[in-house]
Amino acid sequence: MENNEIVNIKGLIKRYPIGGGFFTALNGIDLVFGTGEFAGLVGPSGSGKTTMLNIIGTLDSPSEGTTHVLGHSVGDLSQKQAAKLRKIHLGFIFQTYNLLPVYTVFENVEFPLLLLDMTHGERKNAVLDALKWVGLTDKIKSRPAQLSGGECQRVAIARAMVKKPAMVLADEPTANLDAANSHHILQTMEKLNRELKTTFIFATHDDKVIRYLKRKITLEDGKVVQDETS
Amino acid sequence: MSAIKLALRNLIGAGLRTWLSVLVLAIILILVIWQYAIIDGWDRMAIRDMIAWEIGGGQIWTADYDPFDPFTLEDSHRVIPQSFNDEIEKGNMAPILITQASIYPGGRIMSILLKGIDPHQQVSELPTDKLLEEGEDIPAIIGTGMARDSKLNIGDYITVRWRDVDGTFDATELLIADVFRSNVPAVDNGQIWIPLENLQEMTQMPGEATLLVMDQDYAWEGEEDGWILRDHDYLLQDMRDMIKMKKVGGSVFYIILMLLAMLAIFDTQVLSIFRRQKEIGTYMAMGMTRGQVVRLFTVEGAMHALLAVTLGAIPGIPFLYWMAKVGYSMPAGSDTMGLPIAETIYPAYSLGLILSVMLLVIITTTIVSYLPSRKISKMNPTEAIKGKLQ
Repeated sequence: MENNEIVNIKGLIKRYPIGGGFFTALNGIDLVFGTGEFAGLVGPSGSGKTTMLNIIGTLDSPSEGTTHVLGHSVGDLSQKQAAKLRKIHLGFIFQTYNLLPVYTVFENVEFPLLLLDMTHGERKNAVLDALKWVGLTDKIKSRPAQLSGGECQRVAIARAMVKKPAMVLADEPTANLDAANSHHILQTMEKLNRELKTTFIFATHDDKVIRYLKRKITLEDGKVVQDETS
Repeated sequence: MSAIKLALRNLIGAGLRTWLSVLVLAIILILVIWQYAIIDGWDRMAIRDMIAWEIGGGQIWTADYDPFDPFTLEDSHRVIPQSFNDEIEKGNMAPILITQASIYPGGRIMSILLKGIDPHQQVSELPTDKLLEEGEDIPAIIGTGMARDSKLNIGDYITVRWRDVDGTFDATELLIADVFRSNVPAVDNGQIWIPLENLQEMTQMPGEATLLVMDQDYAWEGEEDGWILRDHDYLLQDMRDMIKMKKVGGSVFYIILMLLAMLAIFDTQVLSIFRRQKEIGTYMAMGMTRGQVVRLFTVEGAMHALLAVTLGAIPGIPFLYWMAKVGYSMPAGSDTMGLPIAETIYPAYSLGLILSVMLLVIITTTIVSYLPSRKISKMNPTEAIKGKLQ
């Protein structure tokens, strides 16, 4: 593995048991992602984008082949080791934001830091910085129910970014947003990628997102059919 | 990470659902502590009163005597041995002679126990000094319970009929010299106390007694033929058994209440785990292990009890303190239960009682919270993130 490689996938196959047989979601994927990439897995529903993102995010494991994330083989990680990798190095952004409804914006963004060994002061500074990146410092006491969809996704970005992870995995981050909010979100992520050198990997079929991607990997029926860098 | 801090945030955020469970638990906690303290207070008062009024430091019975079998009274009398007389002189013992008799209050017949006691005794709190009145009449003292049942008052005369040692009937009149108030039914209900010498003369049992009550500071360790020592363990056993039964009976009510509260918490936990799948998946994505999520949900459930303990203290401490000051007035008629019951019972709180009740509630709540939380450990995080039911 080269030094600037953050993800290295070789011969990845993922099968799910269905009925008496198996459904192959990913079929022989070979891919490498470098540090600081702004890449996307694109393709229609059922093409295997989210499955691949989950494997890269160590939430799922390969059936065959190898996937190395930050030098760790996903298939060989124990549940605790995978959780530790996610806790320190990975950030997630979901289509439905997945904010904790009973927490304020500040508490939502602070949550990943509570899992790390940080003091209250360090956490507070980091949260305020993250909220500054996404332009939500005036909403720190609001709860998710009091925010618009765009604001919720910005909180989710701040939460994913607050610990300055090596890589952020975003699954259809703009699917529930209008065009204006989508562009705002993407510009924010593009800026963070540029300034913090954080790797972003998207799973999307939204043209608005695709336009921002510097690398576009097209999947169809679990196979990479195109990999183009702009 | 502090699971307690996160759990507290989640609970406070859950709002009314949390506070309802906490309120129910807090009420149960206060009621259980209060009820057990009342029973403990009753237990202590009953024992203290029984010792003060009836059993002293223990009793020495004639071998045939059985207080629950009136037929034994006929043979339950013996001449008081010299060794006992020496102790009586020193004030360490008080002899009591008991015989069955009948009185005729208001023209109706009433069976009673006629008890002779030394008017100079200091062993019992019975106001036997009232039996020292000089005159032709035989003075008698009765308790308020007996006075109520027989409608007798101080200064009344009452005809009493008894049988002497040979079985011959005789009758005389007694003068009610005093009506005393005691919480101990065994010295009150159906009993008339007269001077020992009078009863010995009436029954032709000179120098005899049925039993002797020992002073609280005196312990008899000798042996006398035909006399049996009955210590506190023996004499208090029946009362302790009855109070224990009362405690068990009362516990059933609180066990049902606790079960309802636990059911509510179990239900809340099960519902939470179904409703909050997306949240559980998000926790895992952010780096929590399944074990940590299980712990978080378990602590959340257990926090209901911790909050109940903390918040229950706000109304609970003043309430329990106030009850300890004013006591609990027993309902009318409870003095006829046959147990020593004061008109007002003062609850007796102990650290052990409070801690054990609190621990019981916390441990039970934690177990009830843990059981549904175990399901989390089998969840697939990718499905949980999407909020799919598993």
